[in-house]
Amino acid sequence: MQSEVDPLAQLSEIRAIMERSSRFLSLSGLAGVGAGVVALIGAGVAHVALEHELGPEGFARLATGGVGPDDRRALLPLLVGLAVVMIGLGLVVAFFFTRRRAARTGQRLWGGAARRLALSLSAPLAAGGLFALALYREGAVGLVVPALLLFYGLALLSASKYTLDEIRGLGYVQVALGLVGLLLPPYGLWLFGAGFGVAHILYGIRMFNRYERGPQPGQAPLA
Amino acid sequence: MKHSIQALNKAFDHRVRLGVMAVLLANEAASFNELKETLDLTDGNLASHVAALEKAGYVAVSKQFVGRKPSTTYAVTTEGRTAFQEHLAALEKLLSGG
Repeated sequence: MQSEVDPLAQLSEIRAIMERSSRFLSLSGLAGVGAGVVALIGAGVAHVALEHELGPEGFARLATGGVGPDDRRALLPLLVGLAVVMIGLGLVVAFFFTRRRAARTGQRLWGGAARRLALSLSAPLAAGGLFALALYREGAVGLVVPALLLFYGLALLSASKYTLDEIRGLGYVQVALGLVGLLLPPYGLWLFGAGFGVAHILYGIRMFNRYERGPQPGQAPLA
Repeated sequence: MKHSIQALNKAFDHRVRLGVMAVLLANEAASFNELKETLDLTDGNLASHVAALEKAGYVAVSKQFVGRKPSTTYAVTTEGRTAFQEHLAALEKLLSGG
């Protein structure tokens, strides 16, 4: 080690250490698939519930101002409750698969990188959630889903430097869907399903195929 | 070739020290335990190498209490950053053959 200098080995080791210590790499693609399935179920439940409460085309009427302020306010607990349950389920599923992957690869789950990832996600998400609530309160219901997609996409973009590269792509997709949604308020639930559901599932499968297929270090291959 | 090898910084001769510098440059600051776990080292091993880097003026140490537990945080100094970048440049020069 004293006189033998292997510059290539040193450089690649430095690079690997910098990556490993500054990025949260245990994120599992299956977490994305699971969260996407939860979101699709949630969009379906919201669709059925709104048809039940408001009749056919329930969401479109709510989104385009076809529902009075009193009815709108009366629906808020149902919608917020549904959102809270979905976020909770999505987080549980994502946490389960990510913890499983961290255990398999022998990486630490909670460290500096995970903390920075959580922080850079939570600030824009909290702001986005409150902003969406304010839009609903003001009657701009058609902008709620686009706002959720935009804030979520921007949160992912800002968090992507602390985790897998795919997260940046997922962020751009959510932002793009949010912008499309601004033009199509009645189709909000479809865009919700596309962004939080389908995009999560597709990116999750992509991440799974890229990082988790084949034998893991010190583990039997996944079935 | 010989000239370039001499340009390599003696303070970074050991892979543990390179590892410590890599973690600190990628993260601004890191605690003793974070360094230990990321680099998979024992307490004594890490402590002696960090002490060498501190002595060279490349790493700054700050101690504080988190609750009632003492916690030591390390950050890279400006000199450390410059020295590490020069070391990397020297490695790259070796690779490009000259």
